[in-house]
Amino acid sequence: MPDFTDNLKPLYDGVQTLVDERARSKINVEELAKHLLSRDDFYERQKRVTKILEGEPLFSKKQNLNLSRPDRYHVGLARAKALRRLTLKHGWDDLDFRMAEYLVDEVSPYHLHNSMFQQTIREQASDEQKAKLMPLVDNYEIIGCYAQTELGHGSNVRGVEALAKWDPKTKEFIIHSPTLTASKWWNGSMGRTANYAIVVAQLLLPKASSPTTYVNHGPHPFIVQIRDMKTHQPFDGIVVGDIGPKYGYTSMDNGYMLFDNYRVPHSAMLARYNRVDPDTGVLTKSGHPAVVYGTLTYVRANIIMHSRLILARACTIAIRYGAVRRQFKDRDAPNPAAVPELAVLDYPTVMIRLLPLLATTFALHYTGEAMYNIYWGTRKSIESGDFSKLAELHSASSGLKSLCTSFAADGIEVCRRSMGGHGFGGYSGILPLNNDYLSKPTVEGDNWMITQQVASYLIKKMETVVKNPNAASKDSTDDLFKHYLKSRSSKVPVDIVRFGQVDDQAIVEAFRWRAAHLSYLAYEARIVNKGKWNNLMIQLHKLSNAYSQTFLISHFYDAVMKSPLSSPTNTVMHDLYRLFALNTIDSDSHSFAATNAVTSASLDRIPDVVLHLMTDKIRPHAIKLVDSWSMPDYLLESSLGRYDGRVYEDMYDRVHRHNPLNKITFNPDWRNEEIVMGSGSGTQQVLAKL
Amino acid sequence: MSRNPDWVKALQPSSPQGHELLQQERSSSKLAIEPLSEFLFGREAIERKFNVLQVLQSEPVFNKSQNAFDGRVQRFETALARAKKLRRLVVKHGWKEEDRRIAAELIGEPLPYALHEGMFLKTLLEQGTDEQRKLFYERAEKYEIIGCYAQTELGHGSNVRGLETTATWNADDKTFTLHSPYLTASKWWIGTLGRTANYAAVMAQLIVDGKSCGPHPFVVQIRDLKTHLPLDNIHIGDIGPKFGYNTMDNGFLLFNKVKIPHVSMLARFSRVDPKTNQYIRPSSPSLVYGTLTWIRSTIVMHAGAALAKGVTIAVRYCAIRRQFRDMDAPDSVVEEMPVLNYTLVQYRLLPLLAATFGLHFTGKAMMELYQENQKSMQANAGKGDLLPDLHAMSCGLKALASYTAAEGLEVCRRACGGHGYSSFSGVGGFYADYVPTTTWEGDNYMLTQQVARYLLKSARAVLNGESTSNDTTNFLTTFRSRSDSAPVFDVLNFDADLVQAFAWRAASMTFDALKKRDDQKMAWNDLLVDFYRLSKAHSQYLVVKNFFESLSALQTAGSLGTETPAVFRKLFQLYTLHTLDSESSDFLLSGAVTVRQIEQSRTTIMRLMKEIRPHAVRLVDAWGISDFQLDSSLGRYDGKVYEDMFHRASELNPLNGITIDSNPNSDVLFRSVGGENVKSKL
Ligand SMILES: Cc1cc2nc3c(=O)[nH]c(=O)nc-3n(C[C@H](O)[C@H](O)[C@H](O)COP(=O)(O)OP(=O)(O)OC[C@H]3O[C@@H](n4cnc5c(N)ncnc54)[C@H](O)[C@@H]3O)c2cc1C
Ligand SMILES: Cc1cc2nc3c(=O)[nH]c(=O)nc-3n(C[C@H](O)[C@H](O)[C@H](O)COP(=O)(O)OP(=O)(O)OC[C@H]3O[C@@H](n4cnc5c(N)ncnc54)[C@H](O)[C@@H]3O)c2cc1C
Repeated sequence: MPDFTDNLKPLYDGVQTLVDERARSKINVEELAKHLLSRDDFYERQKRVTKILEGEPLFSKKQNLNLSRPDRYHVGLARAKALRRLTLKHGWDDLDFRMAEYLVDEVSPYHLHNSMFQQTIREQASDEQKAKLMPLVDNYEIIGCYAQTELGHGSNVRGVEALAKWDPKTKEFIIHSPTLTASKWWNGSMGRTANYAIVVAQLLLPKASSPTTYVNHGPHPFIVQIRDMKTHQPFDGIVVGDIGPKYGYTSMDNGYMLFDNYRVPHSAMLARYNRVDPDTGVLTKSGHPAVVYGTLTYVRANIIMHSRLILARACTIAIRYGAVRRQFKDRDAPNPAAVPELAVLDYPTVMIRLLPLLATTFALHYTGEAMYNIYWGTRKSIESGDFSKLAELHSASSGLKSLCTSFAADGIEVCRRSMGGHGFGGYSGILPLNNDYLSKPTVEGDNWMITQQVASYLIKKMETVVKNPNAASKDSTDDLFKHYLKSRSSKVPVDIVRFGQVDDQAIVEAFRWRAAHLSYLAYEARIVNKGKWNNLMIQLHKLSNAYSQTFLISHFYDAVMKSPLSSPTNTVMHDLYRLFALNTIDSDSHSFAATNAVTSASLDRIPDVVLHLMTDKIRPHAIKLVDSWSMPDYLLESSLGRYDGRVYEDMYDRVHRHNPLNKITFNPDWRNEEIVMGSGSGTQQVLAKL
Repeated sequence: MSRNPDWVKALQPSSPQGHELLQQERSSSKLAIEPLSEFLFGREAIERKFNVLQVLQSEPVFNKSQNAFDGRVQRFETALARAKKLRRLVVKHGWKEEDRRIAAELIGEPLPYALHEGMFLKTLLEQGTDEQRKLFYERAEKYEIIGCYAQTELGHGSNVRGLETTATWNADDKTFTLHSPYLTASKWWIGTLGRTANYAAVMAQLIVDGKSCGPHPFVVQIRDLKTHLPLDNIHIGDIGPKFGYNTMDNGFLLFNKVKIPHVSMLARFSRVDPKTNQYIRPSSPSLVYGTLTWIRSTIVMHAGAALAKGVTIAVRYCAIRRQFRDMDAPDSVVEEMPVLNYTLVQYRLLPLLAATFGLHFTGKAMMELYQENQKSMQANAGKGDLLPDLHAMSCGLKALASYTAAEGLEVCRRACGGHGYSSFSGVGGFYADYVPTTTWEGDNYMLTQQVARYLLKSARAVLNGESTSNDTTNFLTTFRSRSDSAPVFDVLNFDADLVQAFAWRAASMTFDALKKRDDQKMAWNDLLVDFYRLSKAHSQYLVVKNFFESLSALQTAGSLGTETPAVFRKLFQLYTLHTLDSESSDFLLSGAVTVRQIEQSRTTIMRLMKEIRPHAVRLVDAWGISDFQLDSSLGRYDGKVYEDMFHRASELNPLNGITIDSNPNSDVLFRSVGGENVKSKL
């Protein structure tokens, strides 16, 4: 319906603003985009798949935020099925399919089927089991999930309470949940969707000497059919359901599941590495292969590459909006009446929140790339069981997972808040990002917990080097520790900023020195002074972060030094490196002072250098830098972050024309029970739903 | 009817049970909860809350169990039913405004009448003439008309002077014309406007005789009182789903040359004389100051309570949640550790626990100061007015307090691990409703400029020897007199020195900023980051100071014995040292402390956490937040965490009533509900 608002225009033209912004910078966006996104042909693939999805009405995201939980799941399932059909129709390979999932940007009810379920069978099933299962899995004839976490245990996998007890008479396993906390919990795709599950349970086998006594052999994976293929009802002895609403993951049916002495055949136990002899009931182990560590490292590299895209998306929205949004005139402007208001991105208190995050996206990128390169470069030796080349990276990877997912999760919220009121709105596009991504600091290893792995690795390494300072180095960490021990007594702090000049190499050294020093302190506290682990945890967490930062810094620095990019992009990238590094130092300057890594005079100078880098060097390129991350408008689903800058027009259009609440007239009179005007129905109808 | 078979109903969580664990926690500390709560909140407020709670709990419409499942439209519908019910309860029980506010707090979701009850009534009362009060306020007070407060626009929020809506005075027929000349002039974000209100207090640029006189408030009817449809040439709607606040109909509003009578302009302070057609300026602009100061002080105090919700949930849950054995425990210990015993969890939660009290004391002190000032102003005919100081303090503290609470809530949520991500944790949804506090009533980053301006002004006065004596000029003067000799604050042994160190750092940063602005003539814009840090430093000093001063009140309150004040001293030290550690670069730079002292403070923090740990559960109990308000499986008072999670998931979850078809080749989605076409929802 036409109305008087149809012809209204915004006071400032957002389109022109972004055109001007883009004209101000000479960065070659396509070159930088390909530099960032060429691996696995991401750049072209994204274009191709986006086009297909945009043409499918089912994949319109417009109403997502209005829908109830059951409706979100309903639509989510429809989309999951449609994606499967599109895959067949367009002959998509696995990467195409994953690209589509990424662009649809909603956790699919089939997700665990085509991730953990499939992967576990591939890696842990015997050849015989695989031959039987994989075709069913690949063709979606069975739909599976991965049930490890329980109501009572998540981080501590060894503590799961579900039992799988071997019955030698019938040659079956009896799967049982002895307590309420043994209920499986959080397992994706399980609540309503899956008919199969990988169930992780404590394997109980009778003792050979006394068959009535059972011995616990620890958690093992079992494949269990949980629902009838026809009726889709759970079998007797199994209770399974959805665990209810969550902070995000609204379209996903994370589930719970309990077993009442439920019997499964011998073939249920995935037997590639561990096998129970059906005749003797004896467990034979063929060891845990190093390949698993390789996979884990690879998975973590994926998480980091994903985190860079998440953060880049948040930055794209906030930076474009920050350039279009104008608020207040410059206080120092000579003739305020003659100038427009300032873009909020020109305020340093906005820049200091957004530009270091923008720099972080590139830091994440180069580290992720380096991890891939090391992984693929050493894959041959890994496959042959030689894991040594990957050891350092593997050990660092849990710290990097922790640091990088925290960067992205926290960064999303910083970006959102930088947009003032409109960042809180449903058309900012940043809400689903926040809701779904904020699970990442917890899943795949809680970020606070897994840093302990890095710390204990470093303590061990330091112990070895201290004991035997002349042994040959195995990796760069050994080199660093040796260097540290040798120069410890004579160390003087270095200047990283002098006369306005930044010493890039010295920055890398400072980070490395700090990590070595903190490693030494941890070694001293734990090994020499026999400190209690629990009392050291905070220190160890900081150590892990410091160590992980050395990777981000040195990979970024290497990439900048060897940059294939043309001018001015290479220079801007160099400035971004400096911004990232100096801002990181500034936010933890005490630790650089206390470890004697950096002079306090340099530390004092950092804020001014950071301001200069932001306002003079990076701000003019900000829009083109985010453009290079090539986020399709379809992915962004954001009025604020649109490529064309039509922020207000789009927001108004959505509010006015696509908001279901505006189709209803309510009755606001408190004396009248009626809720919807003219409906005659009131509180009673509302009560019926509660 | 239960969906669970008998064998499931018979299951218990593995031992030890949550309720036993909380019992143990409560018996491991001797803190007396009741006198402490009374000290914090007062007997009367506690009783009031108790009475209101009894009434609400007996009304089924306030049952919260379906909130997190509902879609936007349903949520709003239910919220409107609740708002109406609340109004009826107020009338029925003769509740005072305070009771109503407590009830709203307990219900815990923004209700569609909220802006009527808050800003609309307040604006009419404060800015209306007697005639206008009669005309509007009296009807509004009885809810015969429902209003909202429409200031923010699509294009302008922070910059109120930049509003685009115009109200042009028509000398010929003595009316105003309200008009929205641009799309960005659309009112936006206005609570209660989208679907509920029939009146609005609209801020518009007053234009008299072609001259702009700045933004002024107008009362306008916007919807028909019978049909509830918008009046002609007024365009209104809800602005759609949001991060939180989804039970509220924040709205937009556009005017197409709408004429309103002269009486519509709220004319208590400034007005247009209909005879002369002259604009008459406001007499006392500082009165508006007063309201803002008051509102921001309440935000500070409320921030303590808001954070306490998250901390209550996380502390109780982490006392029950067990994961892993202690690495250094002998093999004979088979039990896993409650995660609250991990220092890495304590480090995240206990400083926040301390902060809840620090913010509470600070907010309370601010409000008392404000009221005292109002009184003495009236007595002394405006002399010795502290309002400018109070106003600046309230700006900085609003920013610090709401930031601390918002960040803290997310820390609490993550501290709960996977279950923190469930809606049943009660943290995530609350965070989403709380977080706009960092944006409204002055964006937190923006506000810090006002604090800086005030501090720079005070510093200039000190330098010129023209300052009147108040706390700010005193610490600035002290700094000036001692800045040649490096100070020695014994922050680890004397609490008063700790407070001094915070004052020193704020003073040092003030003079640094002053030098940059006045001597080096740096642009205002280039100093914003310095100002932000300065404001934070100053506000942290204020919290530390107020926290410290409340310690003696705790001590002299006879009812609290000796243990409670001792624990609060530790909480004060923990909050303060933890802040010092995380802001160490400022402290080092200002010379308030040494690198060595910071290293040592970390050891002290570890000791303090260990000493506070046994009291953690009792301390959150003292906040007295009811289960009804928390609406959390993890934070239940009785510790039945797992039973409640399971109950909600299996029995109260509508999704579990639906059977689906999981085969991708089948177009059927939901079998048991069937028929419904998914595409129709898009
Ligand atoms: C959205 C989502 C999807 C999921 N999908 C699946 C799935 O498909 N399948 C599946 O099996 N699981 C799934 N999970 C479960 C997930 O793997 C666990 O939630 C995760 O491993 C964290 O474990 P937890 O919840 O037990 O946290 P907890 O370990 O209980 O953590 C609680 C707190 O204790 C701290 N803590 C714990 N141990 C230590 C320690 N040793 N030292 C110091 N601090 C410690 C943590 O830092 C945290 O603050 C999912 C979870 C979520 C949120
Ligand atoms: C849930 C909710 C309810 C609301 N209810 C109401 C209501 O009932 N009535 C009403 O009138 N309004 C309401 N508002 C609007 C609210 O008051 C504004 O959103 C708020 O004032 C912030 O203004 P903004 O959105 O224009 O932010 P902006 O000013 O656009 O802020 C964007 C960014 O720019 C920065 N910035 C802006 N100016 C400067 C500067 N000079 N220097 C440095 N940085 C700057 C900010 O820090 C921020 O990062 C509501 C908002 C929300 C989210």
